[in-house]
Amino acid sequence: MSLRISILAAFTAAVVSSGAFAAVTVGSAAPDFSLPDANGKTQTLSQYKGKTVVLEWNNPGCPFVQKHYSSGNIPKQQADATKEGVVWLTINSGASGKQGHLDNAGAQAFVAQYHAAPSAYLFDGDGKVGHLYGAKTTPHMYIVDAGGTLRYMGGIDSIASTDKDDLAKATQYVPQALAELKAGKPISVKTSEPYGCAVKYGP
Amino acid sequence: MRKPFAVLPVVLPVMRIFAAAFASLLTVSIAHATAVADEHLEVELVGARDALVPGQTAWLGLRLKHAPQWHTYWINPGDSGLPTKLAWTLPAGYAAGGIAWPAPKRFDLGELTNFGYDGEALLPVPIKVPADAAIGTRAHLALEAKWLVCHEECIPGKATLVLDLPIAQTAADAPYRQLFTDAYTAQPQPAPWPAQIRLAGGRIEIAVRGTDLPAAPHDVFPVQTRVVANAPPHIETRNGELVISFAKSDYFTTMPKPFDLVLLDRSARSWLLHADSTEPSTTHR
Repeated sequence: MSLRISILAAFTAAVVSSGAFAAVTVGSAAPDFSLPDANGKTQTLSQYKGKTVVLEWNNPGCPFVQKHYSSGNIPKQQADATKEGVVWLTINSGASGKQGHLDNAGAQAFVAQYHAAPSAYLFDGDGKVGHLYGAKTTPHMYIVDAGGTLRYMGGIDSIASTDKDDLAKATQYVPQALAELKAGKPISVKTSEPYGCAVKYGP
Repeated sequence: MRKPFAVLPVVLPVMRIFAAAFASLLTVSIAHATAVADEHLEVELVGARDALVPGQTAWLGLRLKHAPQWHTYWINPGDSGLPTKLAWTLPAGYAAGGIAWPAPKRFDLGELTNFGYDGEALLPVPIKVPADAAIGTRAHLALEAKWLVCHEECIPGKATLVLDLPIAQTAADAPYRQLFTDAYTAQPQPAPWPAQIRLAGGRIEIAVRGTDLPAAPHDVFPVQTRVVANAPPHIETRNGELVISFAKSDYFTTMPKPFDLVLLDRSARSWLLHADSTEPSTTHR
């Protein structure tokens, strides 16, 4: 018995697209925000005017995030960037009761566990800043230049997977864009599809 | 354990694995050999028939039994998630085709949309059996499957599954034959209608024309990513055309030629549309 089955053309995996919630655009001013950090201080985007700022959406329970932390990929990118004077803000928009929601001690423990090196770990439990920026997945990355203009938004890298073996083959978009920005070159990849877990926004 | 999803009985899969181990020790002819399960998903490599026939195509499949509310993904996973991936290790002369993806379900996650499967599903794959396969021997077929299973949270998984099948002149239906029949019924059939892409004010419209268009279209799923948004399209009949209107993807760069879509009607029949951005030729229709 033969089954007549039409086979769809195979294509490479990719993950996010949605017109559902409008947000920031590359080339426009990155909107300011004010959020508490894991040390109890308030962090604003505008206080870093004059510096390049990376925003990283984070959920420590997400397997895509775990891939990039347990492999050391994001911690190394954080260390390399901050050494160059870049400010790296890790933002958790997980609502209370959802996966990956952390308190101050939990965030500090997460950073210590992976030897991570963000400039600060920020909480956005009501999801306002996540929605303002249209953050859909963890990770979801943004780069704001010294003049406050958004220069990159999208994925952490070019291969959507939870598999550490893919890291070596993937283009790491943030270090690439930071290097181009520093050299005064055009940014070769300004937007990409982010991939990962859905941000665990509250209702 | 974070969440109360211990719905799949844990004992059952363990017993299955034991049963499979005994079966292979006894070299009993079985068409389903291994099941691997965690609390969210049970996976098993199964065959439609109980033997391989030289020179014919055998249908094998990855059986996915999801815990209630959990799902795995279609070839286009939607706004998050990852498609299930299969890598075969087959004897010399055997060749595996791609997954014959059944039409997916839409999962609404609030702001995000996913496409995939829940309940019990099967991803069928055609396996070409060489004409010189020796009758009376057995073939060892191995599959490494990787998946992401999600409810609110996502858990990646992988398993190496094996199926040991006899090579024979004839084959009979195996226990999971019904799952294969269901997966066949859920296959998108080649659409007999031409479909054309139109850009309409920031939206992307697919116009399907012809006779006997589906009277009760229910949903449309984009096969390629980064063309249209994954939110449900607006579907209407206008001037004898079925017009499917999507928001454009935020990540649109170029229009694939053709852009493929799966059209599903309310009685769960589905068709694979190949939409073109030029006027379809009507001379040969």
